[in-house]
Amino acid sequence: MNLRRENKVLKYTLITISFIFLGVFLILPLIYIVITALKDGIAGYINAVSDEYAIKAALLTIEATVIAVIVNTIFGIAAAWLITKYAFKGKKVLSTFIDLPVTVSPIIAGLIYVLTFGRQSSLYPILDSYGIQIIFAVPGIVLATIFVTFPFISRELIPVLTAQGTDEEEAAAIMGAGTATIFRKVTFPHIKWALLYGIVLCTARAMGEFGAVSVLSGHLRGKTNTLPLYIELLYQGYDFTGAFAASSILVVLAIVVLILRLVIEKRGQKELDLNK
Amino acid sequence: MAYVELHDINKHFKKFHASKDINISIEKGKLVALLGPSGSGKTTILRMIAGLEQPDSGEIIIDGKVVNNIPGSERGIGFVFQNYALFRYMTVYDNIAFGLRVKKVPEDKIKARVTELLSLINCEGLEKRYPSQLSGGQRQRVAFARALAPNPQILLLDEPFAAIDAKVRLELRTWLRQMITKLNITSIFVTHDQDEAIEVADEIIVTNQGKVEQSGTPQELYKNPATPFVAQFIGNSVAVENYQEFRYFNRKGDGTKAYIRPEFVSVFKKGESVQFANSAEEAVVEDIIFRGSSLEIKARLHGNLISANRSINEPEIKVGETVDLFIYRLYIVSEDEVFLATNSSLAEEDVVI
Repeated sequence: MNLRRENKVLKYTLITISFIFLGVFLILPLIYIVITALKDGIAGYINAVSDEYAIKAALLTIEATVIAVIVNTIFGIAAAWLITKYAFKGKKVLSTFIDLPVTVSPIIAGLIYVLTFGRQSSLYPILDSYGIQIIFAVPGIVLATIFVTFPFISRELIPVLTAQGTDEEEAAAIMGAGTATIFRKVTFPHIKWALLYGIVLCTARAMGEFGAVSVLSGHLRGKTNTLPLYIELLYQGYDFTGAFAASSILVVLAIVVLILRLVIEKRGQKELDLNK
Repeated sequence: MAYVELHDINKHFKKFHASKDINISIEKGKLVALLGPSGSGKTTILRMIAGLEQPDSGEIIIDGKVVNNIPGSERGIGFVFQNYALFRYMTVYDNIAFGLRVKKVPEDKIKARVTELLSLINCEGLEKRYPSQLSGGQRQRVAFARALAPNPQILLLDEPFAAIDAKVRLELRTWLRQMITKLNITSIFVTHDQDEAIEVADEIIVTNQGKVEQSGTPQELYKNPATPFVAQFIGNSVAVENYQEFRYFNRKGDGTKAYIRPEFVSVFKKGESVQFANSAEEAVVEDIIFRGSSLEIKARLHGNLISANRSINEPEIKVGETVDLFIYRLYIVSEDEVFLATNSSLAEEDVVI
């Protein structure tokens, strides 16, 4: 009895702490974003959101995100497949390197590319002669986004593929199925939900990336400004309504991603239970 | 005529020598067991026949053709994996149909074949289930059906009964034996359970430390173990290091080691035996294990704890009691050789196992 009562006290204390914490650090600022964005009335908000540069920034963010997600999905599946289904030398090294972007500060990631492709680099004359510009241009932003988000998908897939083992693939191979068929019919159903989840995480991270992109972008309004950079620019210019209105776009995108995440987790869990 | 042959097969996994000069010959239509302790290389042999592993040297021959460079899928093989490896995200129907679909068999023929196999394995009505919704025994039978669907010439089974509980295992053994006899398909299965091998197989290949120790019918292996390992591995043998102290056994070779199986020993209460009154030896009972249908009696003789079976219908024996032990025969082991020695007081009688 005593133990039960103690547990209840603990339970409600923890609940209170969690809600206060979330309220102060998350809900309050979110409400504040909405209030500030709407400070100049709905018309002011719509004006700020439909600003030519805001739309261009949003489109660039979406472009960089889509490219990064596609590239990382392909790379993530390939890397996870390689690491879990084959034995080779340097496997540990590869698997450690995949995690590098999580541990390296995004600013450094940006600087790495500036050093690799910038004017002082020996690659620069070659790229320049073909008319390819990476630094302070869209390719640089895409590269930076890919770099910071590339572990997300493979990290989701590796545990699933490891748990599954190679038996089913071997069984399919013995019956004469080719690699493509094996992947489509046998492996893919296993990793489907983990893959979607990885894509969602990757998308969320790609949309919000600031550090590495900031270094590589050059901040050319309407050309190389992504949404987070555009928000910062407005904020530095004391345009609070504009900054918070643009932020609200990112918040809406984040909420969409969050809901997607919930749905995917639920459905994935259901299927997992079915296949225990 | 040999249908599956392995000639001088060697296989390494990094530095581990998994198969050492393997020579095997299996006749068409036979049911053969690869029997050995874990790590003895039996699964490696099976996987090489299936094309899942490549031997470092030697030839694998199926139906007179060297198949080393032919992919497993073109060797006419059905494979049942240890944990069945059923496709978890496919129904029973799709699992069995998989091999046929890969071979682009028309859908109506697939339907006929799957229906036929489902009735063969007594799983009609389960075609829409997923593997997770089946019992262990059903999964095993579905795995069997899936392997058989494309009409393979050879069926390979890796520890087919390992993942099933004891009661169902016995049923499945009998069932599998009947199925394979009925289909007359050359089958090779891997097991570490000698009872399973003896009961199910026409022929047993005993492996140990990457080598083939002996192959032959269960009776041959039981009666004439060719190597010390087989003598010790088949039957629940007890090892003794001083058989020369046992009465009525003549020495052979230089060694003093021998193996005694429980079924070679009779236990008598004092005065119970008339026939072996003079040739039995006295021993003290140290342990009695109830085996359900019989008793296993462990008694100390010349410093060795000898096991013997005794019927539950015979007069009761208690721990601590002094009894008469009569040993009919034992396997004497010296270096690489094994001799069957018979109690010399029985010399005139024939040995029948």
